[in-house]
Amino acid sequence: MFRSYALAPLRCVALALLAVFGFVASLPLMMSIGAIVTYPHVLLLVRRLNSLSRRLAGAWSGVVIDLPYREGPVPTPPRRPDGWYEHEGQLFKTRHYPAFFLRMQWLSDDPATARDWMWLVLLAPIGGLVALLAPGFVLAGVVLVAGVTGPGRRMLADAGLTDLVAWPGVTMPGWAVLAAGLAAIVAGVLAGPALLRAHGRWARQWLGHPGLTWWQSSGIGAWLRKGGHDTWQAALLLGLSLTGFAVFLLTLLLTLVSGGFGIAWLAYAIRPMLNHYRRLCVKWGDGEPMPDPYRQREPVPEPGPDGRYRVGRTLYATRDGARRAGFFPWILGDSATWRDLAWMATAPLAALLAVVPGVLIGAGYFGLFWQALFWPLWGVPFGLITGVWVSPWYTWQLMTLGMPFLDAVPGWLSIPIGLALGLLGVLLAGPVLRLITGWARLLLAPSRSAELTQRVEHLAQTRAEAVDASSAELRRIERDLHDGAQARLVAVGLSLGTVEQLMDRDPAAARVLLAQARETSAAALAELRDLVRGIHPPVLAERGLADAVRALALDAALPVEVRADLAGQPPAPVATAAYFAVAEALANAARHAQAGRVGVDIRHTGGLLRVTVTDDGRGGAEPTHGGGLHGLRRRLATFDGTLALHSPQGGPTVLTLEIPCALSSPRTSTS
Amino acid sequence: MRVVLAEDLYLLREGLVRLLEAHDCTVVAAVETGPDLLAALLAHRPDVAVVDVRLPPTNTDEGLQAALTARRQVPGLPVLVLSQHVEQLYARELLADGTGGIGYLLKDRVFNADQFLDAVRRVAGGGTAMDPEVIAKLLQQPARNVPLARLTPREREVLELMAEGRSNAAIGQRLFLSESAVGKHTASIFGKLDLAPSDDDNRRVLAVLAYLNGAT
Repeated sequence: MFRSYALAPLRCVALALLAVFGFVASLPLMMSIGAIVTYPHVLLLVRRLNSLSRRLAGAWSGVVIDLPYREGPVPTPPRRPDGWYEHEGQLFKTRHYPAFFLRMQWLSDDPATARDWMWLVLLAPIGGLVALLAPGFVLAGVVLVAGVTGPGRRMLADAGLTDLVAWPGVTMPGWAVLAAGLAAIVAGVLAGPALLRAHGRWARQWLGHPGLTWWQSSGIGAWLRKGGHDTWQAALLLGLSLTGFAVFLLTLLLTLVSGGFGIAWLAYAIRPMLNHYRRLCVKWGDGEPMPDPYRQREPVPEPGPDGRYRVGRTLYATRDGARRAGFFPWILGDSATWRDLAWMATAPLAALLAVVPGVLIGAGYFGLFWQALFWPLWGVPFGLITGVWVSPWYTWQLMTLGMPFLDAVPGWLSIPIGLALGLLGVLLAGPVLRLITGWARLLLAPSRSAELTQRVEHLAQTRAEAVDASSAELRRIERDLHDGAQARLVAVGLSLGTVEQLMDRDPAAARVLLAQARETSAAALAELRDLVRGIHPPVLAERGLADAVRALALDAALPVEVRADLAGQPPAPVATAAYFAVAEALANAARHAQAGRVGVDIRHTGGLLRVTVTDDGRGGAEPTHGGGLHGLRRRLATFDGTLALHSPQGGPTVLTLEIPCALSSPRTSTS
Repeated sequence: MRVVLAEDLYLLREGLVRLLEAHDCTVVAAVETGPDLLAALLAHRPDVAVVDVRLPPTNTDEGLQAALTARRQVPGLPVLVLSQHVEQLYARELLADGTGGIGYLLKDRVFNADQFLDAVRRVAGGGTAMDPEVIAKLLQQPARNVPLARLTPREREVLELMAEGRSNAAIGQRLFLSESAVGKHTASIFGKLDLAPSDDDNRRVLAVLAYLNGAT
């Protein structure tokens, strides 16, 4: 009891010192974030520092503070089957780098990280100032008491501090000063534990688990965050736009200096950056995909009868020369190259708008709004030490320098003004970003003719694959028939011929041969049945896709639950492709996934037939090149269908295939 | 025995008519299409109908649908369904009403006239004739039917024949066992699969098939 009262002022001093230390340390810590490598270490150091605050609050004020940090293990990069590690499309030989990036992302995504910094920079010093009230009272009391007592007065006089307790114009009897001093000491000591508790609650407010606050539930926090993201995303796009503009200027220069020589190389070299820009626009814009618009390069033409290669109007003696020469018409004849150039010339005009929300938020929120809050931290000590008192509205005065008409505005108004400017910036960030990405879409997305060219290329490729696949299928059927049913029917014919001869001479032998012929014809039928199943399952022709999949489910080695919601039948080739895809998926689930149950879901929505096969197996399935899934994907591509496999380690595995098609009315013949 | 026959291929239809008539059956109607079949079934009320699954005009499962429709109107109307392929899906639909008098065979089975006519007679008598291939597929699903592992190989053979719809006597003949030995096996099978024993061939096969299907 006595001990806690006696120790409280000292503890308050310790907390204040800790806050000062944290504040001082935060500056070099913030600066060292710049060197990316140290980032996680710095964050962990900050966490350790703040955990000390939590522990002290718990020990000295009894306020328990939960750890607010995101739980669970730090994500680690998965090891690919080829032994490499992947992070956002890049491969790494060791787990070191991807693990570092993941860890960094994980740490900075944690909302507690931002609160940690806030505590260190601002909130801990505020708490420290409050806590300092207790030792402050005690110290003041001690000084007062010392002022009226003999030895104390002498000591003060020796130190030249007599004025400290002898205020000019105020005369007080010695006993009153003594009483006031003692009262101050008592008040300081008595208030100590209460102030410690107040400090503990303050710490819990900011260092504890935030829970769900009105901030999050009202969506305001999300709105502000979105505005902030839009701002820096627009700023980053501005940077890339300026790079593009530089390339445009270089192109102009080349045109002037060399008559355009080198433009093609330059335009080719900048394409990866532009593709990166396209991806960013899709990611941060409306999400509508923006494929790269460039023409595929045509192969070098075959040499003519004279052995030379023709490119445009020039003949080349060597293949290599023709290939090199073909580069220029390929690049310069592509309309996408010129659209790129048009974008690079104009992009900064749109992108410069990115400055507006950035400046509004930077100057308004961080400049004006925060100036007064930071002022006590540096303005007060500065004033105490040098005697020169800087105005708390220093940023405002700096900004309005040279604008005397603004002097009429009182300085404190700069706080609401700053907040309003910041909010205006957040409000503008979204439209500005949309404007920038919209402008990019206008010029960087494939033009109608480029889209058609790509479509033709895609169709030519899938058609070639479909033709290959069907001719391979026909060859297989021919071989199966030739070696199987056909051969057996020949055998049956032979037997029957022999029977004809034997019938009178040796009826017993004839009977044996007849039995053999019957068995052989049954075997031929069985083979034909299997063959037909592989081409076009009869149940599909008789019942349509949903029932055919149900029949498949009944034959599967695993329990399969089928849910189908089809108002009609998809076209026969689509149904066949979907059927074989499900068959393959079920076989894989039974063979590799060690699944216990499989669910198949078939539905048709928005002009899309979607089939989902889900198993509860161990997951980790990867489509191998030339494997069953690869073949299915190629088969579906003929119908513009897609196949997506989602199979995390540990399952579940979800295979989704989507084929655009229309449904015909139910129960019409498909064969 | 009065038979209605539905088969769209002329050669096969004529062959079946000849086969049936040679074995004391009267083919009262031999039709080609689904609608004709339904009309014939309801008009003649035959002792048994022999029906191809796939019939014109749509060439889908019209024969099967006509047979099922007729059975809904005439419960227990014996129908033997023939097909180029067997599907558990169809077997289930045929057995669903649980009234018996159902056969489901591959067309190949007509090669063996004796066994085919045995099946026709069994179905006409309200029994069941399931194609061995249907039964084999049912029994091939180890993940689903755990208790099947408890059966001895001999009991498995007996179970297969029982599921096809054969009587104890027929099973004994097939496996060269005495009828009482078969009876012991069936009792043991029913015990191991926790099924109520039954001497009635038809109820027995329905119980076994329901068990095998139900385990899915």
